Amino acid sequence: MKRVLLSLLVAFGLLGSAFAQQPGSTLVVGMSILPNTIDSGDANDSNAIAVTRQIVERLVELAPGNEGLVPGLASSWEANADSTEWTFHLLQGVRFHDGTPFNAEAVKFSLDRWNDAANPYHFGAEGKAYVGWRNLFGGFLGDGSAVSEVVVDDEYTVTLKLTRSISFLPSLLAGGYFGFDSPAAVMAAGANYGTPSVGSVGTGPYRFERWEEGSRVVLTANTEYRDGPPPTETVVFVGVSDPTARLAQLKAGALDIAAAISPSDLDSVLSDPNLELVRGEGGLNTSYLAMHQNQKPMDDVRVRQAVAYAVDRVAIVDAFYAGQAVAAEDIIPDSLWGHADGVGAYPYDPAKARELLTEAGYPNGFDTELWYRNSGLEPVIAEAIASYLADVGIRAALKTEDWAAFLADYMAGNFPLYTLGWNADFADPDTFIYTFYGPQAVRRFGWNAPEVVTLTQEARQVPGQAERAALYAQVVTAAHEAMPVLPLAHQSQFFVVRKGVTGLVPNPLGAFPVLAGTSKAQ
Amino acid sequence: MTTYLIRRVLGIIPVLLGVTFLVFAINRIVPSNPAVAILGDKGTVESQRQLAEELGLNKPVFFDVEGYRSSGRFGQLFDSQYFKYMGELLTGNLGKSFMTRAPVTDSLKVRFPATMELALFSILIGSTLGIVLGVVAALRRGTWVDTGMLFIAVSGVSFPVFWTAIVLIYLFSVQLGWFPPAGRLNVTSTLQPVTGLFVLDTLLRGQYKLFLDSLHHLVLPAFALGTHAMALIMRMTRSSMLDVLRRDYVRTAASKGVPPLVVVMKHAFRNALVPVVTVMGLSFGSLLSGAILVEAIFNWPGVGSWIFNAITQRDYPVIQGGVLFVAAVFIVLNMLVDLSYVLIDPRIRY
Amino acid sequence: MRRFLRNRSGVIGLAIVLFFTVATLLAPVLRPYNAGTDRNLAKRLKPPSAEHVLGTDELGRDVLTRVWHGGRVSLSVSLLVVGFSAVLGTALGVLAAIMRGWLDLTLSWFVDILLAFPGILLAIAIVAALGANLTNALIAISIMGIPGYYRVMRSAVIGLRDLEFVQAAEALGSSKFRVAVKHLLPNALSPLIVQVTLAIGRTVLTIASLGFLGLGAQPPTPEWGLMIKAGYSQFLTAPWLSIAPGFAIYLAVLGFNMLGDAIRDHFDPQLRT
Repeated sequence: MKRVLLSLLVAFGLLGSAFAQQPGSTLVVGMSILPNTIDSGDANDSNAIAVTRQIVERLVELAPGNEGLVPGLASSWEANADSTEWTFHLLQGVRFHDGTPFNAEAVKFSLDRWNDAANPYHFGAEGKAYVGWRNLFGGFLGDGSAVSEVVVDDEYTVTLKLTRSISFLPSLLAGGYFGFDSPAAVMAAGANYGTPSVGSVGTGPYRFERWEEGSRVVLTANTEYRDGPPPTETVVFVGVSDPTARLAQLKAGALDIAAAISPSDLDSVLSDPNLELVRGEGGLNTSYLAMHQNQKPMDDVRVRQAVAYAVDRVAIVDAFYAGQAVAAEDIIPDSLWGHADGVGAYPYDPAKARELLTEAGYPNGFDTELWYRNSGLEPVIAEAIASYLADVGIRAALKTEDWAAFLADYMAGNFPLYTLGWNADFADPDTFIYTFYGPQAVRRFGWNAPEVVTLTQEARQVPGQAERAALYAQVVTAAHEAMPVLPLAHQSQFFVVRKGVTGLVPNPLGAFPVLAGTSKAQ
Repeated sequence: MTTYLIRRVLGIIPVLLGVTFLVFAINRIVPSNPAVAILGDKGTVESQRQLAEELGLNKPVFFDVEGYRSSGRFGQLFDSQYFKYMGELLTGNLGKSFMTRAPVTDSLKVRFPATMELALFSILIGSTLGIVLGVVAALRRGTWVDTGMLFIAVSGVSFPVFWTAIVLIYLFSVQLGWFPPAGRLNVTSTLQPVTGLFVLDTLLRGQYKLFLDSLHHLVLPAFALGTHAMALIMRMTRSSMLDVLRRDYVRTAASKGVPPLVVVMKHAFRNALVPVVTVMGLSFGSLLSGAILVEAIFNWPGVGSWIFNAITQRDYPVIQGGVLFVAAVFIVLNMLVDLSYVLIDPRIRY
Repeated sequence: MRRFLRNRSGVIGLAIVLFFTVATLLAPVLRPYNAGTDRNLAKRLKPPSAEHVLGTDELGRDVLTRVWHGGRVSLSVSLLVVGFSAVLGTALGVLAAIMRGWLDLTLSWFVDILLAFPGILLAIAIVAALGANLTNALIAISIMGIPGYYRVMRSAVIGLRDLEFVQAAEALGSSKFRVAVKHLLPNALSPLIVQVTLAIGRTVLTIASLGFLGLGAQPPTPEWGLMIKAGYSQFLTAPWLSIAPGFAIYLAVLGFNMLGDAIRDHFDPQLRT
């Protein structure tokens, strides 16, 4: 019996060497979860967009490694004087993977499909939600949408007519949601377009091969890609929800690239000679501690300021981010413009915090709740914040719930304190300022400051950066004083890869890079 | 016997009805709304309301009492999410996932065989080890060997399964590189499923290399899951072996000079297997719950992790369809185990 | 008692259980650190040393103190859960057995529905709906445990119901409930005791599983499953973080299982050797 067991073990051991290394022309990417859909307009989460980015392309693309914009399927674009009409000049001779031509009609087809709930290919009743479109363009046609009409000027020119001025429209279109699908493929597949059995058809460097439910999405190189075929023949996306299991699989050689690795795991990455950290500069994201003013005593500005003084953000960033983040000065990351001169962060000063609490009538502190999401670094950071707050007498009970419930509760103003993060949708201060201090501020933080909201809206209308910067400086200063939300950290974007993987450049927006130039050495 | 059988089978219906009712009730205890989860951080009150309507979540959960009062029509009472779902269910339609928009039945076809395969191999590993330990313990009863075997078996059921799983991955995949840490097949291999059980499908398709590959992928997760069944089966084997060893015919065989090993293998062991088989059936329930954790860690595309994710995402159609299906399988399995008692032991009557 | 003491594994189990009971009672006295609040970011993730016997965790807290206090959480919650479901399950089971008729049918139907949810699934669904915290986990696991006691007690009482002394008591005019409390319950106790001891070990595991999934205890509660979750990502660089609570769970569950097995052997002569 023992001998049989031993020989079985040896046999498996021999087999073991076979699974670890794949041929060099395959890249295996580990995500936290497989896409919900790969219909790009309907794809909402970063995992889905990571896959669609390889298959479909956008009019405007993010420059690799920085927040700039570069031509995509549009070679150039221009706006009228008040930014209410944008004209895009398209690349010529581009074909979809199914052989049909890419042209102005195809652009109009997709834009109309996303924008118009009555469009026959919208499939809203079948469950397609177009969350990206709803959120970035304000809704659907006639119901809040900023796009009123898409006009085909000629075969390779298309114009978007807007209901309001948007000076950063190209930035919006470069977001991951708006990749162009083959109209023929959408018409053929109907509501099933983008599901595992059908997949999607675009113009990108990889074409959809197959999608095995719950296991993997397989893409193959588009050999007719206009910039030449990508160096890797097959890209496989797998979903591993547990970050530790994901890292373990990378270490065991079952993955080549792992996304969404927690900075807390980097110690074991850096000590592994087979792994490498690929790091991008200046992540456009902010993690924060919000203080909801619907909940007493957060309605007292002195209490909110006391919280800001009580938390040692620098020590927290040093302890947990493994050098992959900087302590936030304000809500806008340092690499973007829009800051206010002379307005820095609150220093760590527990004595000052206690003083403010006494002034506010809480010499012995108070009991409250701190809510956090149970993923990545968030639990330890919440714990660290709670223990800093305890030092000044604020006894915050730590609480969490699943994401669906969390979203509903924080939007309803049920949490006195909560930690969350925000990832920029596009590289413009607007995505931070408008999100945090715009009309949603009442809902997010219970901060009711109409004059500040007006400033954020005004800044959307004026075209020049200098004028907008002046308005943003006022907003940032007001927020610094009222302290509805304490910015904590800006994290850099990084991936962990196996040694030999080259040509992977993280983008500051956190969008998964297009793998057109990524390969693995043999 | 026949009446008993009919009664058991008919008895399943009210229980399954109760399961659908309970799943609906639990899902909707909190007013949390899947539309909020789908639209995420950026959703507005208006877009959430719109989407809830599109998904049919604006209707009452069980009974439309208001609609009945205002319209006076009795049928209006049943214009609810529950009765709409039950109506679809009767036609075999489990709906589409809110998240993936894929039909729930399509996902079940892939995911259930994956969990079955994992559970079957866990039972295989657990019972092989359990029977060996149990036989050895029975033959050496009362000695330290006996205590040692019991200790090993109880240890198997005392480790948290998620902990065993991660230790196995670090030890056998990361450090030693003997077994793959995740998945059902090598990432570059393709297999056209027949039954969904990859071990079987690879043989049916004649892809023998893939057959070994799928076995290779099964070892770690099945072992992590199988240790719990091992303990139960070891105890059963041991006590039924002891019981049989005391019987006259076994003693007679031994006294006739038949070598001890032959006595054990030929007489005692075979008879002792009967109760063990029923225990294997009963272990399935605990396997399914352990599967939730093991599937998540080993990236095994089964029903356990699927339903767990659906619960956290409020993907109602998946929760409802998945739980209902698993419950149905579980009930049928329990019934078969009960029936096997009747068949095996004629003293039990109903 | 002497017969019990001859059962080696039962004695080992009893020793482990006693050790955990004493240790958890003494927890607040024995360690110089505070399990919840003592943080020291400068000393995080330090390996075992004389000062910190099991090292420090991601917030620089003493791991031994936390594992030790984790025993308090796990054992007290387990006892509450088992007590809660044993009392409810027994009451309902006895009620069903003596009342028979539609009440028995309804209760048994409801229990069958609960049993149709395999294992931990029902608890996950309940906690996800009610909100993730230790109290809700306690409620969910308690509900999950009811069917086991219900079934055991119902069949035990039905078995006793027809025995002569019970029928004699009923014939003498005692009420059904009086008979149940005075005659049936005490005689059905042994299956209950077996069920309870075996359930404690299982409950410790279930609580840890929910904690691991983020559906049980919340930080900074030193709960074993939660500690494994927080620490196991550093398995290669700081193995003490997950090995210590993992081993604690193992030892506690092992103790209760061995004790439970021994008690079962004691009451059930068929399994005895």
